[in-house]
Amino acid sequence: MGLSKTKEASLLIDEQLLQYMDQLELLQEKRATLNALIEQYASEMEPQICVQARTVENDAVEFCTERITVKNPVQNTAPVEDIGPKEEGVRRRIKPSKDTSGPEECVGGSTEKPSLNGATEPPSVSQSDPSPHPDPLRWFGILVPQTLRQAQSSFRQVIELSAEMATLQAAVLNTREQLKHCMKLCPLEEH
Amino acid sequence: MAGRGKLIAVIGDEDTCTGFLLGGIGELNKNRKPNFLVVEKDTSVTEIEETFKSFLVRNDIGIILINQYIAEMIRHAIDGHMESIPAVLEIPSKEHPYDASKDSILRRAKGMFSAEDFR
Repeated sequence: MGLSKTKEASLLIDEQLLQYMDQLELLQEKRATLNALIEQYASEMEPQICVQARTVENDAVEFCTERITVKNPVQNTAPVEDIGPKEEGVRRRIKPSKDTSGPEECVGGSTEKPSLNGATEPPSVSQSDPSPHPDPLRWFGILVPQTLRQAQSSFRQVIELSAEMATLQAAVLNTREQLKHCMKLCPLEEH
Repeated sequence: MAGRGKLIAVIGDEDTCTGFLLGGIGELNKNRKPNFLVVEKDTSVTEIEETFKSFLVRNDIGIILINQYIAEMIRHAIDGHMESIPAVLEIPSKEHPYDASKDSILRRAKGMFSAEDFR
């Protein structure tokens, strides 16, 4: 009877140990990704992201990120890309003289098409960001370097990963406590 | 605030803070208190520690990210934090790569396999 109890305890400890190792392994994996992302850029304010912390089974805590969405989330490329062709069209209309614009008009015409389309469409550049929380990229101007966009994207990934890692860290510590508790209750016999 | 969830706070060098603020975590609350601290050369350890402790007691903060080299300066305060929320995550910085042997959580996890844990 005593033997089977020890066996049961051993099985429980084994199971928890395996879980513990899995969690540590996963944590290490995520840690490597997070480190790589941060080190890569080891280059008016309202949060746009927050974390929800909730207690799950066994008093473990789970964190998950949540982007605070506004009506029109800022698209990071569209406004900038629309500026180019539109301004080009305007410049071409002003510069060419009336008579000598034969061949150039084709080019101008082709660029005018988008500008006509642009007239029917709501002006993309002037539509100011309706969001009360502008994209932090705008702190650096409208035409920001691509590298800055990449940095933002990486840090957004880091934020997601941070929440996952925080969850795992909490799980690791929680399992550790359980394991310790288990071992205190039923200490394994020394071989 | 309650419905919005918790904030992510950062204590780090300029590059680290800029990156995370770019990611959208920054907040200045009604009392103009930020959820981040840019640690510069002349930032005192006391200021870092006080900021860290103030983040710990703020109930609107869920995760504290801290550059590991800064965490080293206030290791006792970090080791003393045993609660799950806010979670403290040590991260690398441009000039200081991550060292797992210094990480508070991993050191605790390692401690699990010390002889006294098996007694």
